[in-house]
Amino acid sequence: MHTFIDYFSWVISKGFFIYGACLTSFYFIGVYLANRGILKARRRNVFLRSQDVISASDLPHITLIAPAYNEGPTIIDNVFSLLLLKYPYYDLIVVNDGSKDDSLQKLIDKFNLEVSLQNPSENPIETAHVRNIYKSKNTSYKNLTVIDKENGGRSDAINTGINFSSSELILCTDADCIIEETALVKMVTPYLEATDKEVIACGGGIGLANGSSIEKGVIKKLRLPQNLLALIQVVEYIRAFLLGRMSWGEVNGLLLVSGAFGMFPRRRLVEVGGFDTSTIGEDFELCVRLRKHMEELNLSYKIVYLPLTLCWTEAPETYKIFISQRDRWARGLCETLSTHKKMIGNSKYGTMGMIFLPYWVIFEFGAPLVELIGLLYIIISASMGWLNWEVTFYAFVAIYLIGCLFSTTAVFLYVNYFNQYNTIGQIFKLLGAAYLEPFIFHPILVYASIKGYYKMLFNIKSGWGTMTRKGFSSANSS
Amino acid sequence: MRSPDIFTLIEISCFFLGCNIVLMILMVQYRKYRGKRLSNLEAVFADCVSSYLYPRPGEQITSAEVGEALSKAGVKKCFPGNIDYLIQLMIRTQRALGGINHHKIKKLYSEIPPYGVSIAKVRSKKWSVKARGIREIYEMDQPQYLKEIVPYYNHKNIYVRREAQIALVVFLGWESLSFLPMLTRRVGLWQQIKIVEKLHDVDKSYNIGYLRNCYKSSNPDVLQLVIRIIKKYQIMSETDFLEKMLCHDDYEVREAVIYCLLSLGVKNPEMRRLLYSLRTTIPSEIQQTQVLKYLYKNQDFILNHPEFVIGLNRSA
Repeated sequence: MHTFIDYFSWVISKGFFIYGACLTSFYFIGVYLANRGILKARRRNVFLRSQDVISASDLPHITLIAPAYNEGPTIIDNVFSLLLLKYPYYDLIVVNDGSKDDSLQKLIDKFNLEVSLQNPSENPIETAHVRNIYKSKNTSYKNLTVIDKENGGRSDAINTGINFSSSELILCTDADCIIEETALVKMVTPYLEATDKEVIACGGGIGLANGSSIEKGVIKKLRLPQNLLALIQVVEYIRAFLLGRMSWGEVNGLLLVSGAFGMFPRRRLVEVGGFDTSTIGEDFELCVRLRKHMEELNLSYKIVYLPLTLCWTEAPETYKIFISQRDRWARGLCETLSTHKKMIGNSKYGTMGMIFLPYWVIFEFGAPLVELIGLLYIIISASMGWLNWEVTFYAFVAIYLIGCLFSTTAVFLYVNYFNQYNTIGQIFKLLGAAYLEPFIFHPILVYASIKGYYKMLFNIKSGWGTMTRKGFSSANSS
Repeated sequence: MRSPDIFTLIEISCFFLGCNIVLMILMVQYRKYRGKRLSNLEAVFADCVSSYLYPRPGEQITSAEVGEALSKAGVKKCFPGNIDYLIQLMIRTQRALGGINHHKIKKLYSEIPPYGVSIAKVRSKKWSVKARGIREIYEMDQPQYLKEIVPYYNHKNIYVRREAQIALVVFLGWESLSFLPMLTRRVGLWQQIKIVEKLHDVDKSYNIGYLRNCYKSSNPDVLQLVIRIIKKYQIMSETDFLEKMLCHDDYEVREAVIYCLLSLGVKNPEMRRLLYSLRTTIPSEIQQTQVLKYLYKNQDFILNHPEFVIGLNRSA
């Protein structure tokens, strides 16, 4: 019996060790790739400066689609900020997704809107009923269109915007996001530079603006959040966007362009039928579907990630909202992996089928499960007296330090290449948050993911959940 | 894993963690120092250039004196970053100036040390340095180096060939377009936009002969570029070519034609009518719909085209 337990224990601990070693190796390869990608992007930027793009003619036309649902308190400021972007050829479509508040009336009053004619052509993507289309009587807002439709969810609202747009490129965002003035100029560059491979999606970094000074939808002074949960999420976003997405982008393995800020060619969006309205992880699902579409057409393509923070959003500051958000993300991940399960390990889809998707299954979907099993194993081993406390303690310290090293490297790269958090005080605040993360943030994250998986497993419906935001303008203006 | 192994791992992690933190602090301090150095360099440059371009009576400053002042501010061979920064400042200044001052800056660039920096970059093996060198040469209007740039017009690196092609256009104008039919590599959208812009900056009138030479090119990017030139110069005579290109296999070529006809249609409504009548020949439903949407935005077109209004009512 003792021999069996020893053998079992040996297998389990080796399994954890191999899993952890693989994950750590991937992370550090990611650091190398992200660094290489950032350096390459900086070298390329010399030849395509924002000022040159702004003054150029014949640029691709962009439509910015911002779905809005019950965003009355901030909608005017946010629309103003979206109208102030520096790009010579863009339209803004705000889709009022059946809001129950006064969002639409506020827009009508402020922008002097009047009902306009419907589109002359049939809509390529099926959506909920469109009640009215509004255009402004004021010529200053001639690039603004407001679509009022029945509620159908975020994906449906974006699809409505896609139907009504006629531009070559579509930028999807949220009406409650703050977009950098030069974001469109930066986002269009991969499309301008593309030669051999078609760019089917482009994503930019998303930063957290909790605690910053914001006036009329524009960040006046970027500050770190006072709230610890939000502060830890700043580090998490830096790590995820700068290291995670940048490194995947470097090997053309990006499977996710954030729904809050992603640019796509309209043609490809229409070909794949737009966003899937039945899933809650619509951004991830769309990227996988776009890649699948291109693989099936046998065309060369790439998904680009720009190492710049171009969009700012608000992180949840309470554990309840945070858990609800991450639970939704976990369900979205499960749904997409399950929808496209035939592609996993399928050589027909090249590296996406053989490497990228299996990675997501093993390390993105699998990580919370492995952590849970690890925790249970430690508890059982401890209660049965099988645990070598000394080794366990030192192993824990080593793993903790490796995690800290990884976060510190992410902060280091961010501080080195970007000029956003550039004082010693801010750096130490970020590092402090990174070192506290494994104790107060990570267990909650694992719990939220497991909760999401549990809901998926037992088919418990809970939709999007309520992502209550404090609102930038009301809470953080100074 | 045994305890000694874990200890080693902990030690290594602590070492790298410490290095990371120290490096980060040093980097922040260095950035502050570097920022001060560059703003000092910028101030010296602004001072020198203003004295050089607009001298007070009896206080004419020579290029040698400018070079000396800049050298004191840190523009030396051993600080290539400062040299690059100075060149950026000169490019920016030259762009903002016209007439005699534009030429004065161009002259100053060739007279102050370190001499021949840009052409030395062109000879570099690194693509990024080479492309930067070419860019500096055409931005600072130094046509004496054209011969050294010509061989790179079809270089395997996109940035090198892009800058080389732009340089050819800047220095040779319409004549430079004779390289287009020989291009076998891709011409990116930005490359096309820049070529068209620079061509228009150099010569506001068009030379149709050079353009027609490119019509038989099998490279769709070259065709797109030609269509963009037609659009920029508003050449109304090339409708046959545009009509043919509207049915081209390449989506992007067709896209360029649609935009071109719409743009030409602002001056000549006949072009929009042509686009409307030919829309069904476009081999893409998405583009056919797009054409309708574009035309729909133009109220004059709707009013003057009864068929379109009927179609509109039917589908709406």
